[in-house]
Order: sequence, then structure tokens, then C-alpha cells
Amino acid sequence: MNIDISDNICNENLFSTLFTKYSKSLHDFLYYKFGESFNPKDKVQDAFIKLWENCNTISPNKAKSYLFTVANNLMLNEAAHQKVVLKYKNVKPKTSTNETPEFILEGNEYMKKLQSAIANLTEAQRTAFLLNRIEGKKHREIAELLDISTKAVEKRIYGALKKLREDIKGI
Amino acid sequence: MKREDLIKKWLDNELNVQELEAFKQLEDYNDLVQLSDSVMQFKAPEYNTSEELNTALMHINSEQRSKNWLRPVLRIAAILALSFSVYYYTTTLDTNISTLAAQKTEIQLPDASQISLNASSTITYNKSEWKTNRDISLKGEAFFKVTKGSKFNVNTSAGSVTVLGTQFNIKQRNNYFEVICYEGSVKVTHNTNIVILKPGNSFLLIDGEIIAREKEIALNPSWINNKSTFKSMPFSYVIREFERQYNVTINPQDIDLKQLFTGSFVHNNKELALKSITLPLNLNYSLQNNKAIVLSRE
Repeated sequence: MNIDISDNICNENLFSTLFTKYSKSLHDFLYYKFGESFNPKDKVQDAFIKLWENCNTISPNKAKSYLFTVANNLMLNEAAHQKVVLKYKNVKPKTSTNETPEFILEGNEYMKKLQSAIANLTEAQRTAFLLNRIEGKKHREIAELLDISTKAVEKRIYGALKKLREDIKGI
Repeated sequence: MKREDLIKKWLDNELNVQELEAFKQLEDYNDLVQLSDSVMQFKAPEYNTSEELNTALMHINSEQRSKNWLRPVLRIAAILALSFSVYYYTTTLDTNISTLAAQKTEIQLPDASQISLNASSTITYNKSEWKTNRDISLKGEAFFKVTKGSKFNVNTSAGSVTVLGTQFNIKQRNNYFEVICYEGSVKVTHNTNIVILKPGNSFLLIDGEIIAREKEIALNPSWINNKSTFKSMPFSYVIREFERQYNVTINPQDIDLKQLFTGSFVHNNKELALKSITLPLNLNYSLQNNKAIVLSRE
């Protein structure tokens, strides 16, 4: 759907379109950056409601930046840069074919190391890396979401990869 | 292609067929794939966009409704509160009445009590509280006719006068405090002194000294009838009263202002009045202009 810059967000249809377009990305971004403790779903709601309340002063093409900034700030007010440790589901990785106890044990240990390594990434690295690897977002898409250059995204993701591998080997 | 570039392209899912083959040949290939796969387990929880959208829409719609009735109610409440406080404020303000030099005025109070106010004087009272509290502040001179009722208080900087229903004159000027009772009974409070005056009695305080006086025979003060009368009064007070009645400045030259004067002057004839105060003391006067007069010894 084409959104005209001159359209006003104070319109339920336009608002709904924007919601459908950005809410999941915003949610995932908040989750990967801040973890689950501070309710990313609620912050998404709050950010969109704030968007609606200020619908007269924000043009549609600024909506995305507004949403991400507001949600980020709402989170920071609560989360205040605590260390984020993401949880993982104990699902067998695709590449494993054996199910010997030894392998499973190794698998668990690997996951623990990986969890720790992910927690040691910078916020920027972690967010970009996970949006890319888990959500399948292209570098360009991530660049647009976060208002940074594609090169910067590339640097963050590659840096994350490198650090993870070093951490896992090292521990 | 360098290893790093291959990996970067892999990360972005941009490898063409040949590059993919080259990637698979990398030493790290297995490690990279394992890492990539394992990371999947850290996936964010499910996000049901349409459900969340409904929640958001419900929220903004209910907010609209609750806000819509609230705003006009708040506006009306604010206007009411404002008008009430303005009304309350203006109706409970004190009433101030002042006279200028050469001016006299009559005032009627809410209880039908009457005040005649002499020149350069001010009274202050509160209309809305008058029923319960008959309190007046006086600066200057006034003649009071008080209707019977609750206590009637006149406060001056020199002392206060309390009556129940009577006629009396209060004169409070610089260093001069005088109360004359013409009817009824008047209680004068000065510092710790309390004096009760009967008709004809007066209380006079000049420069802090209480001065005894003869009984006053007149039924009301002479200034009510546009004449100022003095009995053995220091001349300075005569001059000051003259200045007030005629709105002039008198410049006494080499005159003993403490000498006592007995006599009177009218308020409506300046020449005659001047003669009245200068002749008895053998003084001369000369008019400088409309506003200034010089008095000198003969």
C-alpha cells in the first residue's frame, strides 16, 4: 500500500497499516536488545499509542524512526543498560544426527557457551546479528530499521560472528 | 574472493552458486553452520500482529471516548472555579474611601451609620463583614454617627475607639490624637489606657502628652459646618489644618509654632481665613502663587 507523505496518521486505516508494517520488527528488535524482562510487547503498544497521540505532528515517513526511538527510550527508562541474557529453547540443532548422551551433553554445553557469548556481545552487535540470523533480515533492511548505513550493519554482524566464535572456543 | 567477503555474503544470503561452493570449502564451514543453526534457538517469542493491532485500536478508541467528555467538563469546571474566585475576591475586598485636601465627604455604612470625613483623611472597612464586625480603620479626621447595634470599632495608629451607638469625632493627625464624644458613651483605648467619654468629654493627646480640656458644648464638631475652631492649640496644628482645608503649602518664617492659638477660620474664604489666623498673633501673610503662602512676623 502506498503511503502518501501528506497523509495524516490520525486516520485509523493509515495507523493500522503502519502497525502491521513495523510492529513485529519493533518487537523483535526490543527483544533482542533488551531481553524479555521488560515486556517488549507492552512497549510496542505504548510506542504506537504515543504515535497516535502525536499523530498531528508526525508525518508517515518519520513514523518508523519515531516508533523505534520512543520504544527504545521507554525501555531504557526501565532496563537502564543491564546485562541481557537471552533464553534459548532446548531444541536439537538441525545438523545433529546422533543422539548419544555424550553428544547431547556436548550440545548442552555448547548452548550454554553460546548463550554466554551472545550475552557478551555489545547491544549493537547482538541486535544486528540476531535480526539477521534468526529473523532472516538482510543487511539493507536492518540498516533501514536502525537508521544506520549498510556498511555499519555489516561491520556489526561480522564483528558479532567473530567474537562469538572466539568466545566459544576460548571458554 | 577473500574468506571474509565470502562469509559476509553468506551472512547476507547473497552468495551465487559458485561463491556458495567456495564457501562450503572453507575450513570454518561446519563451525559457522553449527553456530548459525544453534542461534536459531534464541528466537524471540511469537508476535501475533493482528491480535496486537486489535489491542492497540481498542486502546486508542476507548481513550478517544473517555477524553472527549472529559475535556469540555474540565473547561467548564475551570471557568466556574475562576469566576467564583473572582467574585469572591472582589466582594470581600475592603472598601477604601479617601478625601483629598480641601475635600470633605459623607459616607453611609451598610448599617445606616454615617461618617463625615474631613479633608486628607481615609477610612477603610469591609462591606461583606459589616453585619458581624463593625471595624473601621481611620487615618485623619471623621465624625461618626453610629446606629445602635454590635460593637463599633474605629482603629487609628494612635489608639482605638469603641462605641455601641453614639456620635463622636475622632481626629488623628501627626502626633495629634483627639476623640470628642457628642452623644452616648465612647471608650477610647490608647496603649494601655482606657478612657470612657460621656457627652461633652474629650480625650486629647498631643506629642504623646494627654491634655485636659474643658467640656465641649457644641453638638457636633465645627468642621462639619465648614469652620475649624481651636482652643489653646499649638499654632503648628492650626497651620496644618489650614493647609488641608485650602490645599496650600504654608511657609512659616521665623514664627514660634508652639504658641497657643484660640480662634477659628472658615473653609470657604481664603483671605478671610488667613486674616483669622494671622491677625490674632500679629502675623503677616503674602501669597506666592495659588499654592504657597508665606507667614512672617510683623
